[in-house]
Amino acid sequence: MFLRSSAIGLVLLAATAAQAADFKWASTTDPQTLDPHAVNSAPVLGFLNNVYEGLVRRNQDMAVEPALAVSWEPIGDGEGWRFNLREGVTFHDGSDFTAEDVLFSYERASNEVADTNSWFAPVKEVKIVDDYTIDILTHGPNPIFPGSIANWMIMDSGWAEANAAALPDKDNGNYATLNANGTGAFRVTAREPGLRTVLEPFEGWWDDATHNITQAEFTPIQNPATAVAALLSGDVDMINPVPIQDAARLKESDEVEIIQGIEARVIMLGFPHEAEALKYGGDAGQPNPFKDVRVRQAVAHAINVPAILATIMRGNAEEASQLVSPAMSGYSAAHADRRAFDVDKAKALLDEAGYANGFSFGLKCPNDRYLNDEAVCQAVVSMLAQIGITAELDAMPVRNYWPELREDNYDMYLLGWSPGTFDAEHPIRFLVTTPNPDKKLGSWNFGGFSNARVDELLPLIQAELDAGKRQAMLDEVTQIIQDEQTYVPLYVQPLVWGTRNNVALTQRPDNFFILRWVNVN
Amino acid sequence: MLAYIIRRVFQSVIVLLVVGLVAFSMFRFVGDPIDNMLGQERTQADIDRLRTELGLDKPFPVQYFKFLQGAVEGNFGVSYRQGRPVSTIIAERAPATLELAAVSGFLAITLGIALGVFTAIRRQGFAANAIMTVSLIGVSLPTFLIGILLIYIFSVELDLLPSFGRGETVKIGNWSTGFLTASGLKALILPAITLGLYQMTLIMRLVRSEMLEVLRADYVRFARARGLTDRVINFRHALKNTLVPVITVTGLQLGSIIAFAIITETVFQWPGVGLLFINAIQFVDIPVMAAYLMLISVMFVSINLIVDLLYYAIDPRLRIDGRTA
Amino acid sequence: MSDLTQKPAPAPSRPSRLAQMWDSDFAYAFRHSPVAIVALLVVLVLFLAALFAPWIAPHNPFDPATLNLMNGFTPPGQPNAFTQDTFLLGTDDQGRDVFSTILYGMRISLFVGISAVLLAMIIGVILGLVAAYVGGWVETLIMRVADVQLTFPAILVAMLIFGIAKGFTPPEYRNQMAIWVLIVAIALSDWVQFARVVRGAALVEKNKEYVQAARLIGRGSFPIMFRHILPNVLSPVLVISTISLALAIIAEATLSFLGVGAPPTQPSLGTLIRIGQGFLFSGEWWILFFPAVTLLALALSVNLLGDWLRDALNPKLR
Repeated sequence: MFLRSSAIGLVLLAATAAQAADFKWASTTDPQTLDPHAVNSAPVLGFLNNVYEGLVRRNQDMAVEPALAVSWEPIGDGEGWRFNLREGVTFHDGSDFTAEDVLFSYERASNEVADTNSWFAPVKEVKIVDDYTIDILTHGPNPIFPGSIANWMIMDSGWAEANAAALPDKDNGNYATLNANGTGAFRVTAREPGLRTVLEPFEGWWDDATHNITQAEFTPIQNPATAVAALLSGDVDMINPVPIQDAARLKESDEVEIIQGIEARVIMLGFPHEAEALKYGGDAGQPNPFKDVRVRQAVAHAINVPAILATIMRGNAEEASQLVSPAMSGYSAAHADRRAFDVDKAKALLDEAGYANGFSFGLKCPNDRYLNDEAVCQAVVSMLAQIGITAELDAMPVRNYWPELREDNYDMYLLGWSPGTFDAEHPIRFLVTTPNPDKKLGSWNFGGFSNARVDELLPLIQAELDAGKRQAMLDEVTQIIQDEQTYVPLYVQPLVWGTRNNVALTQRPDNFFILRWVNVN
Repeated sequence: MLAYIIRRVFQSVIVLLVVGLVAFSMFRFVGDPIDNMLGQERTQADIDRLRTELGLDKPFPVQYFKFLQGAVEGNFGVSYRQGRPVSTIIAERAPATLELAAVSGFLAITLGIALGVFTAIRRQGFAANAIMTVSLIGVSLPTFLIGILLIYIFSVELDLLPSFGRGETVKIGNWSTGFLTASGLKALILPAITLGLYQMTLIMRLVRSEMLEVLRADYVRFARARGLTDRVINFRHALKNTLVPVITVTGLQLGSIIAFAIITETVFQWPGVGLLFINAIQFVDIPVMAAYLMLISVMFVSINLIVDLLYYAIDPRLRIDGRTA
Repeated sequence: MSDLTQKPAPAPSRPSRLAQMWDSDFAYAFRHSPVAIVALLVVLVLFLAALFAPWIAPHNPFDPATLNLMNGFTPPGQPNAFTQDTFLLGTDDQGRDVFSTILYGMRISLFVGISAVLLAMIIGVILGLVAAYVGGWVETLIMRVADVQLTFPAILVAMLIFGIAKGFTPPEYRNQMAIWVLIVAIALSDWVQFARVVRGAALVEKNKEYVQAARLIGRGSFPIMFRHILPNVLSPVLVISTISLALAIIAEATLSFLGVGAPPTQPSLGTLIRIGQGFLFSGEWWILFFPAVTLLALALSVNLLGDWLRDALNPKLR
């Protein structure tokens, strides 16, 4: 018996050793460019994290660790940060990495035409001290700055200039759109946009490689059922995401493993805070009931989040009480409870607000943006119906969705938010402060929520170096958001990947797939 | 005949202009490209700047004129999503679709005509009735479901055929072909069946119904009375005379093979222009959508032209009519 | 062709001929075709079930207030783990009774399908006949419009109409609008088939002696087109209409796969299949299986019935 199984083990080993040469993975979207400064989107940045590197990087637990910088320290009393760069690092084409490249990458990534320029809003100036030391001066004290630039990737100045790619060009594209030259663990050996991208390990990488991949191929597969079939039939070794409903069944398969985690993205319902009248449904034209905080609270009480999690999310998600998940820094542990599911209380609140007979309105929802977004919205409709308010659901692809929200065409909407900085300040800046285009504030606060105290606290939070004081202010903002029910946070979106059972990897909460943590056994 | 062709070509140009106009005016309803081009942290200023760069702030006639100007020179602009010339992208993707369409079309026409003739000749036979019924099951389910079911059976359960993609391809000049590798041929099977099934059934039913009518016609009865063999009657006389409607429908179906390729390519992640188009819709990549529509318009208009000309060649009665029409 | 004698001469009393046919050959052929009888029975049962859905269905799946999410994913015939409710064909992800959603969904599918085919047939037959009979620039114009129409895949036509309709419909009517947009979109992508085939057949008929004879005795264009040519091109029209009805129902499903179908809160059979295919690998087979089988039964019987009808109604085959 022992002999037989070990013989089978040997055969398996031989078979998998051959597979290790070629790792294939699939995801729904192709990174639309290889230029790390052209598009600030998760598919692009996640993919390019395997090819390019920043001064700092995030480890398996999202903690910031040294990458191209070996260390950093604040300058003076919050004037900025000094980064000590790693020596002996080379780019894929063999040229050396120096402070010159960092300055170049700053100018490139912070340019008006770069999509990443908002990361550098706090930066006043970047100064080269010597070849391996660089100072980044900020407008004010900025304690979270090093963590906010983990996706700022360093490009070789000589390579970019030689190939006429000194600035990102996302309208017409340039050399850097199709080619990459980073310092990362993998280099791009073939690139067919929308079809496949082939990576091979970079021999001259400065860090110790812990993976055993000799070649990796990425293919975008759009239809989720096709992706699952490809994984089951062994055509690919890993897919992201696995449709949530398939996770349980795939777990039973001998050939496939499911890796689950909690993503940083919080799914919530948003309201029109400024609109005078409802726009949709039977009561279109009537005064906007959502201006009344009691109505917003009634909605929060009406949503049976545990039921959504148990059925639609198959027990793979966690309730959300605030705009960030517990894994984020600045999460308010003091406000960890969301409003309980309580139909009677919801009805009482509606009654108090003068809507005992309910009302009818329109709910806008994307149907291709978040996991099972349309199904969640349907469930919301039926739950709101139980407290007597009628939602007319209008679900649409995300390409139509954002323009509708920007034009205020909604009475209620679904939104997911993932803080790029992994900090609670991020959603406050984008979703809660009074919209102010000049200061780049509140740019996703579609409903126009406005609270003087929140506006006052945000700059203080951004500048506070003392963690305790900072948390106290974040707690206060969270309290206001919960009391005012600015949004109704529902749950933290789950992260579900599927692999063949001979693959070991690490899943990061930002849904980035880091190839150097993969081992094919 | 020459005058007729010239007239038809002139009409075709007008058709293309109209298609361009309709396609172009449609794009404003498809969605807004801006949100897909900018990240989460964009500001209103970024949105306005990009809109100006892309020329989306210009009035509609200006945009259309600019598009036509480029199109005439074969320049369809640069893809919003990939940042590369659209003509390059389409040239890369076209072989995949054309090979798939050719195989499906070939399957549909040969099998369709063969089975149609068979079921007409053996009208009451068990095999003929079985074929008729089974073929109907294939067209009584949506294409995407047939595709997914085929993947489920042949890739997941039986592990015989690949679940997606084109397999290995070989480059011959600028043309990437899947015909020359085993994996490329294997990858063709399921998508080609999915795509050709509906057309095959349609052609088969049409051939059968036309054959049945012709076989009852006087001249076939006379032919039989004259003692001609069944084979000569069936193929020389009957089949030839069923071809007018068959050619019409086949011509039309060639077009819908390309159109339906959109769904098949999405299900099988087949890297052709259909998938490119679906991606373009998803990301509101207007230059790609416009180029795709113009391209298939050219193709459809040509198919129509050929079908009309074939009419003349096959049915002599129409030639008299042609001069007046 | 000298089949003037073979052709049923321009019938002086059409109704009586129809009645005659119904009495004799037609009914006889029907009684002796088991396939036709079964197909008709299935179609009738499904039509009636759809028509009387509100009285037959145990739940109204379109009323969100009656749904309990905790009933979601209940297998057929087994009690739900939380609520202990039992459902004949199980429930879907929203806790809707699958049997009821199928009945209500079929209503929408049939309504969309029949309306779309009727619309396409009316447009296509009229334009095809006019093109063939009138000829000249009218024919050119119609056939060029058909070219343009053909150039646009149905999905694009649907999206275009959706977009335009969205611009013109007041927001509160958007949801009801979806169904009508589907009908128009499917009809608009389908009429060309009718027009091309009718034109092709009519071009041949037009030069036959019986039409020329009718013209000689001074009949007007309109009666010639509809009284003489139309009955003789109906055979291909029937072929196409039968497939078209099934096709229209399936086209609706395909459009919903591509994201432009009936809204999920009021699902058609196609929307149910689109939703159900997401559960193919997850073990909840009933969410896909029952709607798919219903669609298959419906489309298959319509097709089989159409096949038989075509043979039975074709005077040349009798």
